[in-house]
Amino acid sequence: MNVLQHLATVIADLLRSDDRRVVLGEDVADGTMLGLTKVAAEDEALAGRLLSTPLSPTVLPAHAAGLAAEGFRPLVIYPEASALVDSLAAVREAAKLGWRHGTQAPVVFIAPLGPGFGLGGGSTEGTASVLARVPGLRVVVLADANEAGAVLRAAVEGWAGDEPTVLLIPRTLALATVEQGADALARPFATPRRVREGEAATVFTWGACLPLVRAAVERSGHDARIVDVECLAPLDRSALAEEAKATGKIVIAHEGPRHCGVGSELAALFADDAILTLDAPVLRITGDDGPLAASSEARALPDLETLTTAITHVATY
Amino acid sequence: MEPTPWDPEGVTVVLDPNGQLVGTHPSNLDAKQLYKLLVAARCLDLRLGRAGLPMWASAAGEEAALVSTALVSRESDWIYPGFRDVAVALARGLEIEAIVAGLFAGDEVGPGRIASATHRIAPPTDALGIHLGLASGRAHAQKLDGSGAATFALFGEGLTTTGAFHESTMLASSLGLPLVMVCRSQLWPDGAPAEAGTVGDSVADRAKAAGLWVRRVDGADALGTHAAIEAAADRARQGRGPSLVEVVVTQMHRDPPAHRDPVERLRRHLDNTGAWTQTLQDVIEAEVRGSLDRALRVVNEETSA
Repeated sequence: MNVLQHLATVIADLLRSDDRRVVLGEDVADGTMLGLTKVAAEDEALAGRLLSTPLSPTVLPAHAAGLAAEGFRPLVIYPEASALVDSLAAVREAAKLGWRHGTQAPVVFIAPLGPGFGLGGGSTEGTASVLARVPGLRVVVLADANEAGAVLRAAVEGWAGDEPTVLLIPRTLALATVEQGADALARPFATPRRVREGEAATVFTWGACLPLVRAAVERSGHDARIVDVECLAPLDRSALAEEAKATGKIVIAHEGPRHCGVGSELAALFADDAILTLDAPVLRITGDDGPLAASSEARALPDLETLTTAITHVATY
Repeated sequence: MEPTPWDPEGVTVVLDPNGQLVGTHPSNLDAKQLYKLLVAARCLDLRLGRAGLPMWASAAGEEAALVSTALVSRESDWIYPGFRDVAVALARGLEIEAIVAGLFAGDEVGPGRIASATHRIAPPTDALGIHLGLASGRAHAQKLDGSGAATFALFGEGLTTTGAFHESTMLASSLGLPLVMVCRSQLWPDGAPAEAGTVGDSVADRAKAAGLWVRRVDGADALGTHAAIEAAADRARQGRGPSLVEVVVTQMHRDPPAHRDPVERLRRHLDNTGAWTQTLQDVIEAEVRGSLDRALRVVNEETSA
């Protein structure tokens, strides 16, 4: 079973366990382009809560927030993360509702992100950083196939709060095999998690970049710790600063453009909160700024060689 | 009375320019109560216009649409107003003191805007027209719940060129939502400028093409406006889908003929039936102005303190 198929079973389970949950999107009654509602669509008892909508890029997030304001818990499935930028006006209003109205709109937006399907263009733009800048919105990026279902469940069940949440599925992860899918997270949700212990350096990363970072650390031969940031907004600033202070040597690696990527905010955070404990320059290794054609979409991810060199550079600085 | 360039075409009329009944309106409507609210709304608008609120826009001349929407709505319904639609709050039962305090405090919704969770008046949005999407979602929830409640969305014709308007009407129409859209269209006696977004046709025609039940009424005719919005709301509550009532309004600051004023036209009607007296007028105005003065004094004291 791959990640998308696994997520489809989790979505069906989530609909079964709470009848206020509904799914919105252009083709949700037919399974969606990614197949995320395929399992739910085969269950007659759930079909009534798969709410296919006409293409509504401008208002769909607001429509979902209106449903949420009346007590529903909508999941909105987008075929592409950059489509959420088409919806930015409505996403902003949905994210502001808790502040403005006194009641949060617990909507979860699910979208694939980044390179992996040979699309180039919008899929290489690092959309996550645009969304991370919306006040009141939580932005989470999946990084682990076995945990994907549990992270989705935590987002939908509101483990970290009822704010509208964007859950991004890296395309490089979408078809990865789920060997043993966790039912529930055995750790806190939407907070940095250490995925490799180490004392020589700290590499911060998330999403599609995590496997590259693992490979680069092994190749470098240095005992670097790896931190999956997981939640790009709001950032758990103190937890991140602690991970930086622990080694004093930092590499930040992420998919998408370097310019105004979330890595820029992390580097600034470490300058603000950890600069006196840093022992090397903070290095950011990212994708190209683009735009990138389909044939060169791999350049939206850091290059393994550059990443390995960066880790060696800070570890031996 | 001969039609003037100020009189809209293609509208259903209940009250003619002289205040004579020429059509039918629901017999249970208390025309005197409607009149009191129109006068109160006008007093509020004129007074607030002098109060120096940032980005304030007058709604004088548009009161029939605002007050009728609030009167037709039930407690369980939701109203999604636009920026200048303060009269909705008044007719929905908020005290003038609370309205004025809200308009000047403006903590979350911004100065000059009104919202109330207890009165089910939704806050306006920063992004243009996105309140229509929030309203369609609310109506979708009402339909799924089978509660028989309806959602009202208010806006002006300027918004009908936006993607937000078209998408919201398509969502409401394709999903059969209990959404009542009340659109105020400005009247352009010398022809509409490009920014009006219409070229002589009507918003109602366009919404009809999108599958909505529509009525086009004259905003100077408060009884006709009320009747159309009530019919639209009845349809929504019966599960018969979304609607758009286009109310053609004349803004008072453009100095139109007196019969274009909804307050004056309803006054003529009440006068014809013997229900209006100068004393009645004085009492209504004194009451509103008294509350307004008190409320503004409190606000001023708080600001200078």
